[in-house]
Amino acid sequence: MPEDIAAALASRFGESVSDLILGERSILFKAEKDAFHEALSLLKTLGFEHLSDVSVVDYMSEGEFEVVYHLWSHARKERATQKVRIPRESPAIDSVVDLWPGAQIHEREAHELFGIRFEGNPDLSPLFLEDWKEIPPFRKDFDTRAYVKKRYEADE
Amino acid sequence: MSKVLPQAIKSKADASANSLWVINYFTACGFLELLPWVGSGYDMERFGILAVSTPRHADVFIIAGYVTEKAVNRIKRIYDQMPSPKYVMALGSCPMTGGMYWDSYSTVKRIDKYIPVDLWVLGCPPKPENIGHAIVMAMNAIKKGFKGH
Repeated sequence: MPEDIAAALASRFGESVSDLILGERSILFKAEKDAFHEALSLLKTLGFEHLSDVSVVDYMSEGEFEVVYHLWSHARKERATQKVRIPRESPAIDSVVDLWPGAQIHEREAHELFGIRFEGNPDLSPLFLEDWKEIPPFRKDFDTRAYVKKRYEADE
Repeated sequence: MSKVLPQAIKSKADASANSLWVINYFTACGFLELLPWVGSGYDMERFGILAVSTPRHADVFIIAGYVTEKAVNRIKRIYDQMPSPKYVMALGSCPMTGGMYWDSYSTVKRIDKYIPVDLWVLGCPPKPENIGHAIVMAMNAIKKGFKGH
């Protein structure tokens, strides 16, 4: 049960324990931007040594991106999810490669598909896309259908 | 009995048709129903078809599954490395229309806009029977002197 993790987070960041517990084996912590790195560092020291994924959600109407860190503890067999919101305009956030070297490829992907700059990531060069000139394709304001019609018109 | 035994090789074209070596480029599920041909079930080797590991040894280029913008450049490179005569077979809906990914930002819709294709096999994915039909059609065409593109 993740109560002790929740209690550790709660005492450090002033949340309530019951809000943090998502289920029997999972917790969810919504961090502020200036505290997110410290919170991830704390979670790592508490046993979440595995970073499964870094994903991004585009809340266009709210003008924000939400970066989601999915953590797993092999010893506890528990999951921790941490979310942090950043502004959609010129989005940038500190990299977590110092905590999990494996974050490098996830951040590179998020950078390519959402245009988020991860400060401190050593390589954010294009991963999947070639000769891409549009806005990043996973942003909500990217019109896939219009792009496909224009780009592949000659193929019809 | 004579019908099931291998026929005598009469010409160079006959020889080519009975020794098609294949380089595969599989990106997705288009390949799934070709697998029975690789294994002993349908057994492509009884037609002299071998899967080779380099395009420089290949006569036939099989593209199965959707092709992304990034993949198409690799496909062009593989095609350019193959010696002539060379034949291209596209398997499944994806290389011919984009298939399920027709409105994807990074999937090529028609592979024949990039390299010439000699044989299209319909299906999502194509059935082994359809692939067998295509193989026999290709062998017959090559025996009759078809040189590809």
